[in-house]
Amino acid sequence: MGAMANFRKSIIFSVLFFYSMLLVKTLSSSPPSSNLQILTAERRIDLTSHIVRVYLTLKVENTGEAPAAEVLLAFSPAQFDHLALVKAAAAVGKKKKKTYLPLEVNPSDHPDAPNGTKYYSISLLKPLGKAESITLEILYMLTHSLEPFPAEISQSESQLVYYHDSAVILSPYHIKQQASMVKTPTSKVESFTRVEPTDRSGTELRYGPYEDRHPYSYSPVIIHLENNNAFAVVEELEREIEISHWGSIQVTEHYKLAHAGARHRGIFSRVEYQSRPSISGVSSFKHLLAELPPRVHSVYYRDDIGNISSSRLRTNSKKSELLIEPRYPLFGGWKATFIIGYGVPLQDFLFESDGGSRYLNYTFGCPLSETVVDKLTIKVVLPEGSKNPSAKAPFTVEQSMETKYSYLDVIGRTVVVLEKKNVVPEHNVPFQVYYNFNPMFMLAEPLMLVSAFFLFFIACIAYLHMDLSIRK
Amino acid sequence: MTTKSISSPVPDAWYPTLAVFMLAIGLVVTASFFIYEATSSRKNRSLVKELTTAVVASVFLGFGSLFLLLSSGIYV
Repeated sequence: MGAMANFRKSIIFSVLFFYSMLLVKTLSSSPPSSNLQILTAERRIDLTSHIVRVYLTLKVENTGEAPAAEVLLAFSPAQFDHLALVKAAAAVGKKKKKTYLPLEVNPSDHPDAPNGTKYYSISLLKPLGKAESITLEILYMLTHSLEPFPAEISQSESQLVYYHDSAVILSPYHIKQQASMVKTPTSKVESFTRVEPTDRSGTELRYGPYEDRHPYSYSPVIIHLENNNAFAVVEELEREIEISHWGSIQVTEHYKLAHAGARHRGIFSRVEYQSRPSISGVSSFKHLLAELPPRVHSVYYRDDIGNISSSRLRTNSKKSELLIEPRYPLFGGWKATFIIGYGVPLQDFLFESDGGSRYLNYTFGCPLSETVVDKLTIKVVLPEGSKNPSAKAPFTVEQSMETKYSYLDVIGRTVVVLEKKNVVPEHNVPFQVYYNFNPMFMLAEPLMLVSAFFLFFIACIAYLHMDLSIRK
Repeated sequence: MTTKSISSPVPDAWYPTLAVFMLAIGLVVTASFFIYEATSSRKNRSLVKELTTAVVASVFLGFGSLFLLLSSGIYV
């Protein structure tokens, strides 16, 4: 009965969207700079994971007189909220010797944008003159954009999701020719909106080619597809990186992991899960891979109960891989909290810069593969006596300061707190924390211990030199 | 930009050895301190000798316990 109702629902949905598709919205309003036009646009949408990756290749031409220094990318408000990352590069050179130069991308505000369209602006290395053209390669990633439908599934069901987008590329510029390719994880696609010409073969869905679309053309499409990948979302991740100049960096990571796919309905049968793994619990996941730095030591994986024994660590000279299994397989809506900790040698990550200050060079982001982090907090605990801390990251992060007391501390350690929301694996790039440190401060801890022992001896001497007897 | 990596002033591998030897020396000196205190009478005790023994013992015990902490994984 449930399957029948779902089928009917999906028919109603597809009919609705067929009609809405007929009302292809063509909004003509004043674009921010309309002298540019896009000659060819190719978009490849990768839906094989739960992180949506969109690769856009644009060939932009300047038709106006004035040189253009920036190219705008338009996003619908719904997509803009789920954007985790936008990267752009300019392709230089001919086919064989093609190289890509990274370009700066920043969100930009245009209050007069139609229908609340949001923009990112790409700053070109040199302004585009009259009748010149440039090829841009753009990658943007969307998180939480695959909506499970049905929203609740039982253990034996496969997970189906909706993906909403537009068949034509939303752009403030006129696009002469464009096509979009959607890559699905399996060849099982329940339904998809047709905007002719639309073609489907195997795991690829092709929209276009469309010719001469006006600025702000938008024709909504819905793709209902099967996606049984691990929808692993870390709702909160707190990483504490503690620097000790005595030779080690200790990292402690507190995870709040959740399965963000279709919620699990009904009971969970361990027998069925274990005996028929190919059809039971296909959308669930039971292990995750964490990539740790090379030469990692004293790794632990535990939670509030104690040690979790189901983990494997493989180390080689390039990287260390930690395969962790939570205490139970994670189904939709289930959560797990755990802690991973490890130590790495100091000399691999701490360096001295030209100005005499020291800096930590460590990887940002989450070590778990193919995982979205909703809220990431990185706390860099500097040694006691550090001065002038400052952090440098290749993207915007919120910064603040704290003080922490640890072993043998008197004035407390300075903590640099970095916070970022919506983190994807592509954010795993190095960041730096600079600080000044006088090596004499390293002697503070041993001298503290020495003076404690010395006070004990002084007490002994004082006691033995005193005459406390009553009788003379 | 030339970068120089910063490492510990004492190699990590030496920590257990240093801890054992420094604590052993420290405890021996402590023992000699208390033997001296117990065997000499109050009149012919020299304060200078007591203090030098105390300083030597506390330096060895202090650094020894630091290396003990470091070798057991408590990086202060």
